[in-house]
Amino acid sequence: MIQLLRIELYKIFRRPRTYISFGIVTAITFVIQLAMLTDGKGFVNFALSGVNEQFDIQGNILNGYLITYIILQSLLIHIPLLVALVAGDALAGEANLGTLRLLLTKPISRPKIVMAKFLSSFIYTVLLIVWLAVVALFFSLLLFGKGDMINLKSDSFIMILQKDVMWRYGLAFAFAVLAMTTIASMSLLLSAFADNSIGPIISTMGIVVVLTILSNLELPLFTIIKPYLFTTHMIGWKGFFDDPVPYAAIGKSAVVLVLYTVGFLLLTVFYFNKKDIKS
Amino acid sequence: MRKYLSLLVVLLTLVSYKVRADDATKLFYTLRTKIATVKDYRADVKMKIDVSFMRIPQLKGTLLFKAPDKMRLERNGGLSMLPKKNINLTISNLIPVGNVTVIDIGNVTVKGKKLRLVKVIPEDDMNNIVLTKLWIDEANLVAVRAETTTRNDGTVIMDLDFNKYMSYGLPDKVTIYMDVKDYKLPKGVTMDYNNEVPTAAKDAKPKAQKGTIEINYLSYAINTGLTDEQFNKK
Amino acid sequence: MGSIIETRNLSKSFKHFKAVTDLSFTINHGDIYGFLGQNGAGKSTTMRMLLGLIFPDSGSIYIDGEEFNNGRRHLLSKIGAIIERPDMYGYLSGWDNLKMFAALSDSSIKAARLHEVLEIVGLKGREQDKVKAYSQGMKQRLGIAIALVHKPDLLILDEPTNGLDPQGIAEMRALILSLSRDHGKTILISSHLLYEIEQVATSMIIIHKGRKVVEGKVNSLLNPDETFIEIDILPDDVIQHKIEGSEWKSMLSTAKHGSLTFKMNPERTPQLNSWLVGQGIGVTEIRSKHSLEAYFLSLTDDTVITNRAI
Repeated sequence: MIQLLRIELYKIFRRPRTYISFGIVTAITFVIQLAMLTDGKGFVNFALSGVNEQFDIQGNILNGYLITYIILQSLLIHIPLLVALVAGDALAGEANLGTLRLLLTKPISRPKIVMAKFLSSFIYTVLLIVWLAVVALFFSLLLFGKGDMINLKSDSFIMILQKDVMWRYGLAFAFAVLAMTTIASMSLLLSAFADNSIGPIISTMGIVVVLTILSNLELPLFTIIKPYLFTTHMIGWKGFFDDPVPYAAIGKSAVVLVLYTVGFLLLTVFYFNKKDIKS
Repeated sequence: MRKYLSLLVVLLTLVSYKVRADDATKLFYTLRTKIATVKDYRADVKMKIDVSFMRIPQLKGTLLFKAPDKMRLERNGGLSMLPKKNINLTISNLIPVGNVTVIDIGNVTVKGKKLRLVKVIPEDDMNNIVLTKLWIDEANLVAVRAETTTRNDGTVIMDLDFNKYMSYGLPDKVTIYMDVKDYKLPKGVTMDYNNEVPTAAKDAKPKAQKGTIEINYLSYAINTGLTDEQFNKK
Repeated sequence: MGSIIETRNLSKSFKHFKAVTDLSFTINHGDIYGFLGQNGAGKSTTMRMLLGLIFPDSGSIYIDGEEFNNGRRHLLSKIGAIIERPDMYGYLSGWDNLKMFAALSDSSIKAARLHEVLEIVGLKGREQDKVKAYSQGMKQRLGIAIALVHKPDLLILDEPTNGLDPQGIAEMRALILSLSRDHGKTILISSHLLYEIEQVATSMIIIHKGRKVVEGKVNSLLNPDETFIEIDILPDDVIQHKIEGSEWKSMLSTAKHGSLTFKMNPERTPQLNSWLVGQGIGVTEIRSKHSLEAYFLSLTDDTVITNRAI
């Protein structure tokens, strides 16, 4: 299994395409940081207008911690695409390339191959999020400095002391890994159905976009199904920046995500194990 | 005769009021002068802001004040957060300036303490302050509570606890109760997580709410000659 | 010599299309077994079933006497295969591809073995090039190297000459013969061209529309006495009665206006020709075609005849 996983990782990281994701994450991060360097004050004034009427907030509001939060907020909903680039390609890409049939004539069981594909996609996801953490946090702190972090929710204003920020980011990134692993397992399932990787990548994005919209619609019907959609729980990382941290809700979200991940994975193994390889 | 008698009673009553009012007016002006002796201070404070829509941890820092209305919280790289200028955190901003009319309400007992309650109305109609009620500890010549109704900022109540800095009229602890407007960011901008509370229930909350700010003064450095620049630093 | 592959009543349908029906055949150790059929006859489907890529609806497969489903993993380690195109990871070098697939087959394979198989397939010196820069022939060779590297007893080669130029085809044929003769491999090779099978195979099967048409030893199936000799003659010549009275009568298969077909050993064609000429019959052309090929051609389309010319 280790050998198989090593080979899967080797295939992923020897391919130039893989590094596009890391490049995109870096580029978007820098673009947001640049935009915040030039326009950040106006943005903050706009966002704080509700509070500024009554309170006078002074100091380095636009610090690295807030910038990182803004980056995560705008970037994390697009990371599924980058995860799908690898996970959605894992089986379908090999089918398309024609290497899948050669791989499957080797004396390895199909569930093991699926597991290796999943684990390698997972490791890629972890590295991508770690990379995001490094680029977003490190460079934002370098460019914008430290300070207490403010967090604006639609109905509340939260201030977090700077000594109280880093552990939240640690947990938030860990949660992001979990959320993206769910995406990876869904992508892998779609990948098992397809014989070319465009389908799973686009379907992954389509599903994420549609479910995210449903997750955010304030209609009674959707309110009922909302708790069952994994997209509702994918933004659970934000909970770590609330006060007090809603551990129960985050825990519930994490459980939902884990259940989805395991479910997708089992379906993939079950389906792929019986699939006729005609590619 | 009865007519004259009753007139006399009325006159006497008026005079006695006048005397008491003069007494109260004097008390107020003396208090105001005492408060004005503090031109500036620098104090180590612990501040707790308690507003329903705000989650702010206890802030430790140095509070700088310069008469009449400059105030700044320094937090060594951290954020400073103070109510807008016209609701300042010192009592000097809650009592009217200039000529005032003082109405004596008399003695009241609050928490076992005998206090003199006076109403102060500024003569200048344009003043932001409409009315200030002061609960004054006459023996120590300090106001332990002020309730100020403003033109634009609702009613602000301030409770003051005195101890070490009583002689300067400076409190060890101040609790401010103020009106706070509700705050709402348009949804979708923030993409909230975890709205456990149903929307309907949240909407039922009142739009205007009370906010509380509690400040503990740990130490003061008084009249050290703070300059204006120290309040303008970024 | 026992059987290395035995199938019993294999059947497989896709949706409403019956790809393979009731197919039984046996491949013995040491055979070069030709799998002949048109495109779409069910060759690839059958080979994929032998490799566990496609699951049969019914029937069973035995490899070395063991039911395939019961020992899939260790049975697959006895097999090396190329199915259809030899697709590899183009962004990796030939060496990296070979090393990777070798490790998947048997993690104990050493670099010396990789060099050895590259030598066998004639890719030595090009192994560090990226596979996307390889020609079709080089990819086929790399495919065979990958199929060989874990020393399997059985090679399954699906149309290994597809897309190769004439020289490549000749080299591939030599390689297959050498793998059988010098390395003792049993080889299952498929083709839609009879002559390709005929040149290398010891046994063969012809399938058509998923069913077995004929199976047997190549030298008995291609018995020379079963050759058709077609002779074009001048249309005016009346010869029916002349043949009736001759030794050739028993060999005459069909006689049409201007054309005669005999079924006989082609070695005797010169004698027949000189007899006809002696009878004063104008022979314009003589063609020979084995009955099996004639039969196979009757199943297939014209493109096969065109390919025959290569």
